[in-house]
Amino acid sequence: MSDALTISKPPDEALRAFLAFLLQEKKAAAVLTLDRIGKDAAPAYSLITDAKELESAAPLLPIMPANAGKLLAEITELGPSPEPIAAVLKPCELRALVELKKLNQANLDNLLLISFTCGGVFPLAIRNNGGINETLPAYRDALAKGEVADGIRPTCRACEHFVPYNADLTVALVGGPGSSGTSTFLINSSRGAEALEGFEGERTEAKLESDAIDALRAKRADEATKLYTESETAAPGLDGLISIFGRCLSCRACSTVCPICYCELCYFDSVTEDPAPNKYEAQLRHRKATRVPPGTIAFHLGRMTHMVISCVGCGMCSDVCPVSIPVATLFSMVGKSADKVFSYVPGKDLDEELPLKKYEVDELSHLGEERIES
Amino acid sequence: MSNGFEPKILYILCSWCGTGGAETASAHGLRYPENVRIYRVNCTGSLPAVHVLRALVEGADGVAVSGCHPGDCHFETGNYHARRRVANLKTILNTLDLGDDRLWFRFVAHGEGRRFVDTATEFSDHIAELGPNPLTARRDT
Amino acid sequence: MNGATVAAPEGVQQAITELLKRGLDEKVFGAVLVPARVPAGDSFAWLLVRDSAVLDEAQPLPPVMSVQGARAIYRFARRGVTGKVAAVLRPCEVRATVELAKLKQVEIDGLVLISMDCPGAVPLKAYVDDPQQGDADFEKLLNGDQTPARDICKVCHLFSRPASDLHFATLGSDNGQASIVAGSDQGRAVLKKLGIAEESSLDAWERAVAERQEQRQQARAEAQATLRQKIAGPDKLLETLSQCINCHVCRSVCPICYCRQCYFESQAVLMPPENILARARRKGGMRLPTDTLLFHVGRMSHMSLSCVSCGACEDACPSSIPVAQLFSLVGDATQKQFDYVAGRSVTEPLPTITYKEDELPDLVAPYVETYSGREAAS
Repeated sequence: MSDALTISKPPDEALRAFLAFLLQEKKAAAVLTLDRIGKDAAPAYSLITDAKELESAAPLLPIMPANAGKLLAEITELGPSPEPIAAVLKPCELRALVELKKLNQANLDNLLLISFTCGGVFPLAIRNNGGINETLPAYRDALAKGEVADGIRPTCRACEHFVPYNADLTVALVGGPGSSGTSTFLINSSRGAEALEGFEGERTEAKLESDAIDALRAKRADEATKLYTESETAAPGLDGLISIFGRCLSCRACSTVCPICYCELCYFDSVTEDPAPNKYEAQLRHRKATRVPPGTIAFHLGRMTHMVISCVGCGMCSDVCPVSIPVATLFSMVGKSADKVFSYVPGKDLDEELPLKKYEVDELSHLGEERIES
Repeated sequence: MSNGFEPKILYILCSWCGTGGAETASAHGLRYPENVRIYRVNCTGSLPAVHVLRALVEGADGVAVSGCHPGDCHFETGNYHARRRVANLKTILNTLDLGDDRLWFRFVAHGEGRRFVDTATEFSDHIAELGPNPLTARRDT
Repeated sequence: MNGATVAAPEGVQQAITELLKRGLDEKVFGAVLVPARVPAGDSFAWLLVRDSAVLDEAQPLPPVMSVQGARAIYRFARRGVTGKVAAVLRPCEVRATVELAKLKQVEIDGLVLISMDCPGAVPLKAYVDDPQQGDADFEKLLNGDQTPARDICKVCHLFSRPASDLHFATLGSDNGQASIVAGSDQGRAVLKKLGIAEESSLDAWERAVAERQEQRQQARAEAQATLRQKIAGPDKLLETLSQCINCHVCRSVCPICYCRQCYFESQAVLMPPENILARARRKGGMRLPTDTLLFHVGRMSHMSLSCVSCGACEDACPSSIPVAQLFSLVGDATQKQFDYVAGRSVTEPLPTITYKEDELPDLVAPYVETYSGREAAS
C-alpha cells in the first residue's frame, strides 16, 4: 500500500487541473505534455508555461509523436534545468530518459516525472485520417478491464513494463476508475508529495498492483511470445534479414527518432564508412554485383550492437519507417535477449550501471575460457 | 512610440562598409534607435540565410542587412552573392505568403553615416507600423 | 530530330537491358548501376553490376522510386569511380545527378547517364504493402492512365530528355522497336562503339512529348495555384506542417541534401535549458521538438534552387505532409527568379555561385535622402 491522492475528476481532467495548479502555484516553471494544437486537433508535445494554454493539453492521449524521454534529454543535454519542469511521460519514455541519464545525455535534476499505467499507443498513421477520437472509447474500455487494446503498436501489445519505474507520481489507468469520474495519483517520492501539497483531492492509501494489472501483464506476456515467435522477425537468419531489410532505403529515420540513438553524427554516416572506389571494386571482384547504397544490413546490425541493450521497445522506429519494416519488433526482441544475458531491464533501476560499463571478474564463463586438456 | 510597441530589430552589418557607416555616424554625433541591435558579420556574402530565418521565425520583428555597394566589397564579390541570397530568401517567404517586408537589404558605404542612421531609423519605424512579428508569438512553430 | 533504333521484341525494358549487357561485355562500360527487384519481391534496390549475367534480373524502369538514383550514385561514387559506370535513371534522377555534380558531390565524367521517358511512379509505401496491386497500377501508368501515379508525377513536365548521355524515347513506342537519342558526345561515342547508327526520324515522338509537356505544364500551374491558396500565410502553412514529427526523413532521402551532418541536427541548434524555458515563457508554451517551421523553410533556403521535384520526400514522410509539392512550389519560384532550371545542364552554373553586377534592382530598399521620419532621440 502506498500514499495516494484520489481526485473527483476523470484522469485526463484531473491531470490537466494538476498541471495548471503546478504552474499557477509556481511549483513548476513549465510542464511537458501532449497538446492538441495541430490540424484536426492532432497532438504534438508542448512545453507549456502559461496555464491558460493548457486548454488544449491531452496528457494521457494514447499517441507518441516523439519519444518524450528523448525530448527531455535534448532539453537537459547541456545542463540541468534551472527551474522545475513537470513532465507527463509514458512508462517507456521514462525508461528511455533513465537510460539516457546513464549515457550522460540527460540530467534529471529539477524534473517532476509523472507517468501512468499504460495501455499502449496507436501508430502515427491513425492521425492521418483524424481517427484518434474514434478509437478512444474502445481503448479506455480495454484499459479499465485490463485487456490488450486493439490496433496499438505491436511492441505495445507485447510490453510487460507498462507499470512505470522511477515516476514521482503514477496515475492509475489500467484497471482504474474507468468511467467512475475519479482518478488516483500514486505518490512514489517526496518530490511527488510536495508537488501535490495543496491540490484538490483526498489523501488515501492505494495499491497499484491489482487483478487487472496482473491479468494484463499475463496477456501481454502471451502477446510477446506470439509476436516474437510467429512474426517474420522470429529467428530470421541471413535470408530472413535480407527479406525484412530488402526494402530498406538507408534513410536513418529509425535511428533519428530512436531515443537511445543520441549521436549527432552516426558512425555509419561518418567518413570511416564512406565508400571509395577501391571498396566497391574489391566487392565487385568477389561478387558479381553489389547493392547500393552499401551496408544496409550492416547498419541495422551495427545499430543493434550500439544500442539494443538499452532498447525500451517504444516503437517509434517502426512507425516512422517509410517502407513498413518491423524494426521495433526485431530490435526489441534482440534487446530482450541481450538484456537477459546481463539480467538487465533498461530504465528500471536508476542506480544500476549500464551492463557494458561494468563487469564482474568471474562471469560469462562460456566466453573466453580455453580449456587445455592435458 | 505612439502605440507603445518597440520593435526588436536585428541590423546585420558587414565589418567593412557596414560597420564603417556606423562608425562614421558616431564620428558625426548621429545616433540610431536603441531598439536596433547590430549583428556584425565579416562580409554580407558570408551571412548564412538560415541565420536571418532564425531571427525572423523566433526572435526579431524585422531584419535589415547592409553591406558595401556593388564594386566596393572588401572581398570583391561577397555583396553580389549576398544580394542573390536575400533575393532567394524573399522569394521563399513570398511564395509561402509569410511576407518579405520584414527583411530589408540596402547598401551602405563606409562614409555614409547619415545613410546608415536613416536606414536604421526608417526600418525601425516601418516595422513599428507593421506591428509585432506574428511568427515569434506563435507556440506551434 | 534523328535518333537510333534498336530491336525490342520483348519491350523497351528488355532493350535497355540488352544495351547494358553489350556495353559491359564489349567493355564500353566498366560497371552498370541499375534497379533490380529485391529477393522478397516487395521493392527495388540498386545494383552495381560487373557481370552481365546478373542483368537478367534488372528492371531498368521500376514501378517505384525507392532510393533516389542520384542519392544511390553519390552514396557509392562520392570519392570517384574507376572506369566508366553506366547508370540507368529516371529523368528526375538524372537532373539530381547533374545538380550533385555541380555541388561537387559526384564526378560526372566517370558516369554514362542513360534515361528513358518516365511514365511516373506509384507511391512507395502502398507498393511495399501490396506489390501485386502496385505492379498492376504501374501497368496503367505505362499505358498512359495517370490515376495511380504519385501526385508529384502527375504534374511533372520534365519527364523526357534530361541532360543524359543516352535517352530511350519510350513515349508512345511499341511495334517491337526502341528509339535512342544521344544527348552528348559521350552518348554518341557509346552508340558508335556499339555499332548503333543514328538514322531514324523521331519527329512523331518529339510531337508526342511536346503535347504531353504542355498538358503537364498546365496541370502543374493549376496544382501550384491551388496549393498556394492552401498554405498561404502562417496559419495555413503551420496547419499543413502541424503533423510533422521532425524525423527529418524528407531531408535524408532527398538527393540534394548531401550534408553529412545537417545544420538542423548540429550544435548550432542545440540550446541550453535556460534558452528553451525563456522561449517557451515568451510564447506561453513551445512545441517540441522545436524549430519545425525553421527546419522546413531553412531547408528550402539551402536546396530549393536545386530541387528537381522527384518526390522522394513525400514518399517517405510518415505524417503524409505534401512536402514534395510544397518544396516544388518554392523550388520553381526560386529557380524562376534566376532563370534557372535545376539539372537542366551541367555547364550552367548554380545561381548561388554566380551573379550579375546589375540585377535585382527591386530588391534593395530604396533610399530617400535624409529620412524625414522620426528622429532618433538624442
